[in-house]
Amino acid sequence: MRHNLRNLAFVLFLSILILGTACQGGEESSKVVLKIGTPNVVKSASILGDSNMGVWTHLSNPTLMKMTEDGKIAGLTAKSSEVSEDGKVWKFVINDDLYWSDGQKLTPDDVQFTFSYLRDNLPSAGWMKSTIENISVEDNAVVFRLSKPYSRLNLEFATYPIQSRHIWEKVDKPMEHTNEGEIVGFGPFYITKTDLDAAVIYLEKNPYWKGQAPKFDALEIHTFSNMDVLSLALEKGEVDAYYKYAGTYPYASIQKLKDTDNFDFVETDNIGLIFLGMNLQKEPMSDKEFRKALSYAINYSEILKLDGLGYGQVPNAGFVPPSMMDFKETEKLEYNLTQAKSILEAAGYKDSNGNGILEDKSGKDMKLAFLTRNDYMRTTELVSEYMKALGIDSEIKTVDSSTWIKQKDAGEYDITVTRSTPWGMLMHANWGTGYFDSRRTGEGVLHVLDDPVFLKLCDDILSSTSDDQLKDYAYQLQDYYAENLPAIALYWNKVETPYNKAWKGWYSDPLYGIFNVDNFLSVEKEQ
Amino acid sequence: MSLTAKRASRYIIALVIIFTLNFVIPRAMPGDPLTNLLGEDVILTDSSVIELRSEMGLDRPLFEQYLDYWHGILHLDLGYSFHRHSPVAEIIFARMKWTLLLAVPSLLTGGILGTILGALAGWRSANSCQKASTAFFLAIYCTPPYFLCLLALYLFSFKLDIFPLKGFYDTGSAADIALHLFLPVLVMTLFSLSRNYMIMRGSVLQEKSSLYAAFARAKGLYDAEILFRHVFKNALLPIITLLAMDFGFILSGALFVEIVFSMNGMGNLIYDALLSRDYPVLQGSFLIITLMVVSANLLADILYSRLDPRVRWH
Repeated sequence: MRHNLRNLAFVLFLSILILGTACQGGEESSKVVLKIGTPNVVKSASILGDSNMGVWTHLSNPTLMKMTEDGKIAGLTAKSSEVSEDGKVWKFVINDDLYWSDGQKLTPDDVQFTFSYLRDNLPSAGWMKSTIENISVEDNAVVFRLSKPYSRLNLEFATYPIQSRHIWEKVDKPMEHTNEGEIVGFGPFYITKTDLDAAVIYLEKNPYWKGQAPKFDALEIHTFSNMDVLSLALEKGEVDAYYKYAGTYPYASIQKLKDTDNFDFVETDNIGLIFLGMNLQKEPMSDKEFRKALSYAINYSEILKLDGLGYGQVPNAGFVPPSMMDFKETEKLEYNLTQAKSILEAAGYKDSNGNGILEDKSGKDMKLAFLTRNDYMRTTELVSEYMKALGIDSEIKTVDSSTWIKQKDAGEYDITVTRSTPWGMLMHANWGTGYFDSRRTGEGVLHVLDDPVFLKLCDDILSSTSDDQLKDYAYQLQDYYAENLPAIALYWNKVETPYNKAWKGWYSDPLYGIFNVDNFLSVEKEQ
Repeated sequence: MSLTAKRASRYIIALVIIFTLNFVIPRAMPGDPLTNLLGEDVILTDSSVIELRSEMGLDRPLFEQYLDYWHGILHLDLGYSFHRHSPVAEIIFARMKWTLLLAVPSLLTGGILGTILGALAGWRSANSCQKASTAFFLAIYCTPPYFLCLLALYLFSFKLDIFPLKGFYDTGSAADIALHLFLPVLVMTLFSLSRNYMIMRGSVLQEKSSLYAAFARAKGLYDAEILFRHVFKNALLPIITLLAMDFGFILSGALFVEIVFSMNGMGNLIYDALLSRDYPVLQGSFLIITLMVVSANLLADILYSRLDPRVRWH
């Protein structure tokens, strides 16, 4: 009996080995396939309703404009763009050599349809309702007539993929529309299948693409629920490169990949950053002197070393990272506890009972509600320690993302550690304004700044019509940040994107990293 | 009222209470389905937020939402998920088939093997082989599931390259699916087996010293006969309770395995719905789990009364 069982177990194990080998042997193919591994898991195959799916669509349905490597806006679906002197009429000339993967030609009509359709149906495009009065087609151009000058329109149009009228006009509820099969696109590749159970999105070459030919046959996007397993997949060669929207490969795992000698990294300066947000509607955060003292109490080098593992630099008081357009060099943030203490003392914060904790202006010990999420736990603990050294007690409350959003919106916090994404830094009036303007709301934004000076600056930027004027406003804004510290940048970091050395020609833009059309036209397999 | 009717009414009351809790608990958490819907770097105007809340029915009084919820249950309509852009019933049934494929074989194998091996280990005098196997199962039992999953994946998928790293399949053939499922099922089986082994072993050790076992031995019955005809039945009672619980939580119990192996199953679905406050998915999933737990309890009650004459159907 025991002998039989042993034999049975052996046969079973052997069968599994054979099965494994057979299944893996069956994968051999002459097609050159680039495989990207990502932790951005797709929840549903809805290109307008699922934010991750929306990113993958950028390759099959390119945007009207694009951001270049140096942060400038250039045409993509549009050949060129021009704006009237009053900033209220934008004209985008559409490329005439673009074809949908079903053979139909892309026309300006598709572009007009896209923006009318998004304006009416997509909540995040709600701003278009109050800004765009009319969209018309003139020859091979699409003309947007605005109700007010809007200098950021070309930048906004670097984020909305163009959709085909002949497909989407039949869809009543675009946010609810899902399609796990072929999605008609006009980029160099188009999505042929979204297989959520296999955790893969498949893209093939667009047979009607007339532009520069891609140098590989197909693209696969492999999604992983677990970052450790994704790292193993990279090491094992199951995926060729890593991508995360608005994120970097974990710094702690970089060395392990380097040790294999099979990987290189696309290293770029992030235009997003980690920062200390404050509830400016409450005391003592509403006190500029308090914020200034707090900025001196933070050991930026230590945070960079411990949290960013040195992949970045100590930030300036002007908040905006140097990788952003129209960056202005403002004062470097400095760790100086003595200075911090003297600022607080001069501002009237004293420890009169000698218990080591400063009292606020009403005479009570200062204990700040420090709201945070698991992702920022280490930084939160460090900042809490620095505050303690300054004589400010804090109670850390670690919550999940939904609770953070809810409590942040209800103002049930004093300080918080959070981040800005590249698009977050560019949205609204650019340079991070979208995170602070009290007239806007959103999941990741703090909307705590209602200073009329700041709000006017935002409006001026939005209506600015010349580059010189825009640059001047950008400088004013960074001076405003440095002077008033509505938030304190904790470190400016690098984005590290590993790729297998078997592939070359990688190109990254500040907005979507390597996930852009130019990159996938440039990347090729080493011979 | 007959005993069966009494018991049935008790189950119905329990279901009503649990279904109500299914409605209340998700709403007691901070946030709502709109909180995490659009992405962290999207800004909205207040009017857009009001419009969205109205579209999702979140602006309606809670009691109205509660009545709607019951209306849905009674019409077998689990609602619509704004996060997954599909009717909840479709999402759940698409996920459930995979989780059942993952969980049922491991629970059955782990249940049967764990019970038999545990009974044998408890009955026989401890030799070195049994000591080693007990130590092995104890180690597995004490290992955090997440770690064991990663360890298995590291050894068998990364180092030995026998099994794939993720997903339910690549090509979709039966052999391919079996290959993808083998390692996660093996890990889940080991967990279930080790727990059942430890409990059954302890239970048999206790029963072994009972008077009826000594009497059977004095009567001259063979060891195997005493164990499997008399002791086994009595020792099985705690295992039945556990298996009933396992069956009830079969859909959510594979969470760690699904996360590590990037599998689109029910565990992942519920976890994600919890984080994004996707009320309809949470309600629908909990409703199915509730039905399974209640049915499993009912089954356990029946089995108990069959196995143990002291327990009656009342």
